[in-house]
Amino acid sequence: MNIELTDLTRRFGRTQAVDGVSLKTGAGVFGLLGPNGAGKTSLLRIIATVLPPTSGRIRLLGRDPGAYGQRKEIRRRLGYLPQNLGYYPGFTVAEFVEYFALLKEMPPGRVPRAVAAAIEHVGLGDRARAKLRTLSGGMLRRAGIAQAIVNEPELLLLDEPTAGLDPEQRMAFRALLRDLGQRATVIVSTHLVEDVGAACTEVALMDAGKIVFYGTPDELTARGEGTGAAGDAPLERGYSAVLAAARSVTAARS
Amino acid sequence: MSDLGAGRDDQTVPQGALGDAGPPDVDLGKVWISVAAQVWRREPGWLERVAGRALRSPGLARALVTTPSLLLGWVIASAVVLAAGAGATLGTGTPYVALFAPAVAAAGIAYAYGPGIDPAWELSQSMAVSDRMVLLVRALAVFGLNAALGLAASAASGAAAAVTFGWLVPMTAVCALALAAATVTRSANVGVAAGLSGWAITVLGVRAGGGGLTAAVASVSLVLPYLLFAAVCAAVAWYATRIPRGMS
Repeated sequence: MNIELTDLTRRFGRTQAVDGVSLKTGAGVFGLLGPNGAGKTSLLRIIATVLPPTSGRIRLLGRDPGAYGQRKEIRRRLGYLPQNLGYYPGFTVAEFVEYFALLKEMPPGRVPRAVAAAIEHVGLGDRARAKLRTLSGGMLRRAGIAQAIVNEPELLLLDEPTAGLDPEQRMAFRALLRDLGQRATVIVSTHLVEDVGAACTEVALMDAGKIVFYGTPDELTARGEGTGAAGDAPLERGYSAVLAAARSVTAARS
Repeated sequence: MSDLGAGRDDQTVPQGALGDAGPPDVDLGKVWISVAAQVWRREPGWLERVAGRALRSPGLARALVTTPSLLLGWVIASAVVLAAGAGATLGTGTPYVALFAPAVAAAGIAYAYGPGIDPAWELSQSMAVSDRMVLLVRALAVFGLNAALGLAASAASGAAAAVTFGWLVPMTAVCALALAAATVTRSANVGVAAGLSGWAITVLGVRAGGGGLTAAVASVSLVLPYLLFAAVCAAVAWYATRIPRGMS
């Protein structure tokens, strides 16, 4: 298992952002769905070793991120695209990707080729020497994806990766996800249900910091059948049905 | 992103597809990536190469040369301020360089690293090269550069030796204060404000206590308090950037 989370919690003051999450997953594309404020970004930041959990146990790629040396090893094998990725406006696309390849401690001799491959993978080859300040939002997002995959990560964490991409780019991105998921664990946090249906082998739905559903996209779709739940597509109806059921249980308890 | 997911890496030209004139089994994708790698390759400058060897980390060296307060514009601005101080010292006899240097260095230290200063700061925190190490290397480099600029300005202004070197110790304390404030609050501006106001209060306080304007930098009795204060601030900065515990 590349990710093992046991009873993970994270609290910000009085807000319980992550509430007792347990999860095990290996290679494949894993979709993390949920409404805004469900705790997806906090969970992703914990797995990215950026945010320590308040309690619980976490093992990534068979290692303990609490130990300095093991955390370093995890980070060398990690790709992370934060929800709000800042950019260095004076950097070119190639310089930006190279910067993070070096910070991931890739062997310097491998860096130029890895940078070129990552930029080509996201289709930014014709803008590789363009300054980041000259790029559109979608192109910047693709530059962010390029830095995340430059080290051929074993664990790839993408927070809202398709934000700003046009439909054609999103379709191409889903194909890239399926390709990456054959050899790595890819976690995609999104509120776009159709991305999950098209690219993910497994899906978890979060609400109020808890995982309220875990299964395949087909199983999520099945939850919505015959319920009359809102949604334009079968998967959306499953999403709505699971959320409604989870909230009614919570309301009944309180 | 038209070719995204079907990278040129995977495109292999079938044997014989290029005819008799073309070499068989040429992987055009790999050829293109190799060409692109050479074309897009960035040649590090001499400073980055030296830093890479000294630090034994190309990533750390790259992070060092991208320090906002080590960029040319910032260095020129610092040099101009200190040059103006040297000119004022020559004109009035008051050692303004000694008073300016700690403040200029404190601003540089506060603007060396952190959220708001590094656009991709959150991403940097997930890197194998630790952000604490980046902060340490950048802070030391900024301090060293500002010390060198200050010493040059002091020497040019012809200040007394006690004053020329006397400000190095208070500069350490003021820089440590700015660093501690910037890391605790995660705000470079707060760091600058803390450093500047701390230094102004010290200079004016010592002057009000009976010393002259230069007493804050020339008094030997203040050396130990400055160093103790710097050590406390450094400890605070170290704690504020500690490696998160409780991950497992």
